[in-house]
Amino acid sequence: MEIYLPVAEMSVNWLVIIALGTGVGFLSGMFGVGGGFLMTPLLVFAGIPSTVAAATTLSHVTASSMSGALAQWRKRAIDFAMAGVMLLGGMAGTLFGVWLFALMRRQGQMDLIVGLTYVIMLGSIGIIMLRESLAALKAYHGGAAPSRRLVNRGWIQSLPFKMRFRQSRLYISVLPPIGIGFCVGALSAIMGIGGGFIIVPAMIYLLRMPTKVVMGTSLVQIIAVTALTTVLQATSNFAVDIVLAGLLVSGGVVGAQLGVRAGAKLRGEQLRLLLALLVLAVGAGLAWQLVARPADLYSLAEGLP
Amino acid sequence: MRRALLALLLLIAIPARAQDLVSGISQDIIQITSSYTGTNIVVFGAIENAASSQSRDIVVVVRGPDEPMTVRRRDRIAGVWVNSDAARFEGLPAYYYLASTEPITRIASREALARYGIGLQALKPSAIGSHHDPEPFRQAAIRYHKRVGLYAESPGSIDFLSETLFRTRVPVPAGVTRGQYNVEVYLFRDGEVVSAQSTPLFVDATGLERRLYNLAHNAPLSYGILCVLMAMLLGWISSVLFRRQE
Repeated sequence: MEIYLPVAEMSVNWLVIIALGTGVGFLSGMFGVGGGFLMTPLLVFAGIPSTVAAATTLSHVTASSMSGALAQWRKRAIDFAMAGVMLLGGMAGTLFGVWLFALMRRQGQMDLIVGLTYVIMLGSIGIIMLRESLAALKAYHGGAAPSRRLVNRGWIQSLPFKMRFRQSRLYISVLPPIGIGFCVGALSAIMGIGGGFIIVPAMIYLLRMPTKVVMGTSLVQIIAVTALTTVLQATSNFAVDIVLAGLLVSGGVVGAQLGVRAGAKLRGEQLRLLLALLVLAVGAGLAWQLVARPADLYSLAEGLP
Repeated sequence: MRRALLALLLLIAIPARAQDLVSGISQDIIQITSSYTGTNIVVFGAIENAASSQSRDIVVVVRGPDEPMTVRRRDRIAGVWVNSDAARFEGLPAYYYLASTEPITRIASREALARYGIGLQALKPSAIGSHHDPEPFRQAAIRYHKRVGLYAESPGSIDFLSETLFRTRVPVPAGVTRGQYNVEVYLFRDGEVVSAQSTPLFVDATGLERRLYNLAHNAPLSYGILCVLMAMLLGWISSVLFRRQE
């Protein structure tokens, strides 16, 4: 059951890797996120070097998102105009992220920055989603229709360069989507994630896009950003392992399809509550790693920074 | 390539000779295939012209290619563990295995071992660091490699089949680096090396593993695009397959 990974230069149990891919793929399909924020820490836990884990996870995210996006596309639930505008920012963000990645590696502070970014991102997004979904569930059970508060739209409405997004039934400035795309592109390069757990809440709470088109549109954006980052990681860091990627992807695409079906059976608020709890759990685990005393105070990296 | 192989096979068939020591290895190429999970090689040899009264202290060292590495130390700053000091080493091997008839400090003095460069404590890489004393960083590098099974000292692991004939089994784990390794066999008498032999050992990938590794390093752009296309294709196939089932 062992298979040798040519770039990671180690052997792994391929059944474990496929199972990992399927499990994370299931969550991807269910929540419309790429799953990178789960996959990278899990691969590192399985003994894969962290650079290879982060870079190779991107392929898994591409495939899961592709599979999910096609399912959403058939339901006509993708806003391509919005995805295109976000991608403009996403490409610039990716290039910036790769540059920052190299800089942090030279300084030896990559683990810390990545860890802190994860904890802050996951913590704040998890808490916002948890509060919102609990309030929505309460309102649902109380018989009242969940109200859409428009308080945050104020400053976004006042920005210039407005554009009509038919699918999302929005008429807003292109600046917030470009900004979100930029942030996600940068985080993708640094953290080895697609950024779905940032795009999805940003689309729902910041842009106020209808939940129906959020999943498909975020997946299209994620495919483009992870594809670009994979190529950049392969050329600059030689960190993408195609055998590992093939195993993860094979499990991931099946899991994603099953996840989409499971997700269709749950209501939006319930989905968001589950995602919020998952995000908070991963965030708490990573926070613990930052403050707990490491087993060995010294760490080793191959190569010279 | 075939020619080089043939030449190597000939080298194995006629074990290199030194004054009092002949030795050989069971294979001089380790090929990494898709099912490679680590292997063992056998190092064997004989002491010639040995009177039974003389000591038979043998040390076998297998040393991998040197690999630059950076060791960082974490300190607690505001409750969070932060990398502070670092040391960069050049000249530390990626793999180091030592087998001996008894603990090497009983075979020779520390000074002699340092002079011959035998043993983990005799690994003296050149260091550039932000800290004035690189020694704890060097110890940490050795500790790390021991933990992952790439460095080991294994006293008492050399078997004598007769008065003069010996052999030992050297584990080569899955995480080894490709490149040229050296198998060194030392015969000690009264704490000094009286005879030594060195045989090269090659670790290389074959078949698909080799092609993928070469592609990833020689044509990274095509390789990256290949990865993306593979991911997209698999995503699309699964989507089509699952739609049929509906």
